[in-house]
This record gives sequence, C-alpha cells and structure tokens, in this order.
Amino acid sequence: MAFQPSKSKKHMSKEEGTLNLNSMMDMMTIILLFLLKSFSTEGALVTPSEELRLPTSLQGEKPRKELSVSVASNAILVNDQVIVNTDEIDEGMMVIPALEQKLREYAQQERQLELDVGKEFTHEVNIQGDEKIPFELLYKVMFTCSRSAFYKMRLVTIKAE
Amino acid sequence: MAYKPSMRSKNEPLDIELDIRPVMNLMVVLIPLLIASAEWVKLGIIEINVPPAKNVSAGGGQGEQNDEEKDLRLGLKIAIANDGISIANAQTILGGEEEEGPTVPMTEDESYDYAKLKGKLIEIKEAIKGKGFKDANRAVITASKNIEYQVIIDVMDNIQTYEKDDQILPLFPEVNFGSIIQ
Repeated sequence: MAFQPSKSKKHMSKEEGTLNLNSMMDMMTIILLFLLKSFSTEGALVTPSEELRLPTSLQGEKPRKELSVSVASNAILVNDQVIVNTDEIDEGMMVIPALEQKLREYAQQERQLELDVGKEFTHEVNIQGDEKIPFELLYKVMFTCSRSAFYKMRLVTIKAE
Repeated sequence: MAYKPSMRSKNEPLDIELDIRPVMNLMVVLIPLLIASAEWVKLGIIEINVPPAKNVSAGGGQGEQNDEEKDLRLGLKIAIANDGISIANAQTILGGEEEEGPTVPMTEDESYDYAKLKGKLIEIKEAIKGKGFKDANRAVITASKNIEYQVIIDVMDNIQTYEKDDQILPLFPEVNFGSIIQ
C-alpha cells in the first residue's frame, strides 16, 4: 500500500527553479570550436574495416582524394568496389587482369573528362594496403597500376605521433 | 546640456533573461554534424614515382653504360629478406659482421634491426658525399615475397632523414621499388 501523503506537506507551494545553462553553453562553445578546428571537408578518405588496417608511418604528407585502390587481406577494391578476391589471384602472373581492366576504365573516364571539361588527368592513385599483406601482392598491385596509366602512386598510411 | 532624469520615474531595471534555447538547438545540431566529419585519424601519404608503363628494376645493367657517360650512379639497393636486410648496389653487396648472411641481421627477438640499418646507410651517405653521384638520394627497395607491408613502410621511414650536428639531412628519401627476390 502506498503511503498516504503527509497532510502538512500537502499545501506546500512548488518552488520554481530555473536551470542555469551558462556553464553548459560554455562547454558547448569549447566543443564546437575544437570540432571546427578538426573539421575536414574532404569526407572519409578511407573506410576502416577489419581486413584493411593501414600501416603506421612517421612520414607522410597531407592526403588528397584520388582514385583509391585498397588492398585488404581478402580482396582488392577500387573506389570501395570489390574487384577481385586475393585468393583468386594467379600466382604466376605479375599483372592482375581484373584490376587492370577496371583501372583502364577509370583512366578512360579521366581522359574523357580531360577532353570534355578540362579536368587534368593527374595519373595519381592512392594505394591503401593492409599492414599484413605480403610484398608480392603489393608489388603486383603497383605493377598493375603503373601499366594502366596510374603511375603516380601514393601509399596511404596512418601517421604515428 | 543634458536633461536631468525625471525624479518621478521609478523604473526598476528590467530583469530580462536571455533566451538561449535557439542557440542550444543550434549547438545540438552542429556538434553531431562536426563530430561526424571530424578527422580522427591523421592520415599521411608516401609518394613513390615510377616511370610510366615500365618495369621498376633500376640499377642492374645500367651501371656500366652510365660509367662511360661519366654519369656516376650509386644504384643503392636495400633488400629485405626473411633473415635480415642487405644493402647492395649494382656491383657488390655490403657484407655484414659475419661472412655469410645479410648486412643487417635480425635482432635477438626476431625483428628487423632498423637502427643498425640506418647506421650503415649513414656511413654510406657520408662516404659518397660530394662525389657527384646522380642518384645520391635514391634507394631501391626490394623484398622477399612474404615480407609484410608494415616492414616495408618501417624501412622507408628509417631511410628518410638523419641528424648530424643538429641538422636534419636527407638520407635516401627517393624510394623506388624493385622486383621480388626469389
């Protein structure tokens, strides 16, 4: 059974309280400033996943958004589209045919854009490799890139402090 | 002359509280938006420039031709194998402390000895200084099939610069990749 409300407290007037938001506003302003400072307009350059952990490096310049070739431990992706699974890659071949075909398509598009609207074809490609991929695979990817008109390669890394 | 304020008016100062709710609304919207687009992980890029549509096995046979043209080339190669790192050029392989094996063997806990590699490269850099090598800043990195990407990046990190007399000097910052060692 619920307690009966106390008679003496029944006629107590409710105290009007106002919430002091000043300190909260201060906090919000600081957070806002901090976030504006680290604001980036380029959007996500890499999509992190379990299969794609970028290696850490001390050096490195500021990345630009270019065509990205991601070499995850299970698949190769171009602009976040899966092209070929790593276990389907032919051991004996230096070139990865599926990747080459896709890159040639992109190169064709870029050249067309250069003709149509004057956007310069930079030949640049960002290679995002998982830290565990073997050199053989990396070399094959780089070889394929250089064969399909993307010869300015950049390795994307996480900057260690 | 300014008028004297009327003594009749007994205006008490108005206590107006600032309505900060719209500002709060704005903050509540802006903060998640900025959090979503903030750069949490600092990314970096390492540039490697490869001549277009050509295999990247520099050094090698080019040595002799260029000697005739009085065009000195170092052709420094850094080979990463499973048992250590070797430093070589077109003519010779730099020996380690032991007769056989790589120039820079693994450390005792089975990791690559980057500090020692850097030491050796600084020696080379100092020795070739002022001798007019065309590719004094260039190194070709090769590796065995199964070397992990992170190791290659670590090697590249360690061959960029060195410090001497409080100056930071370039070691071998122009990196190329050579073909896989079998």
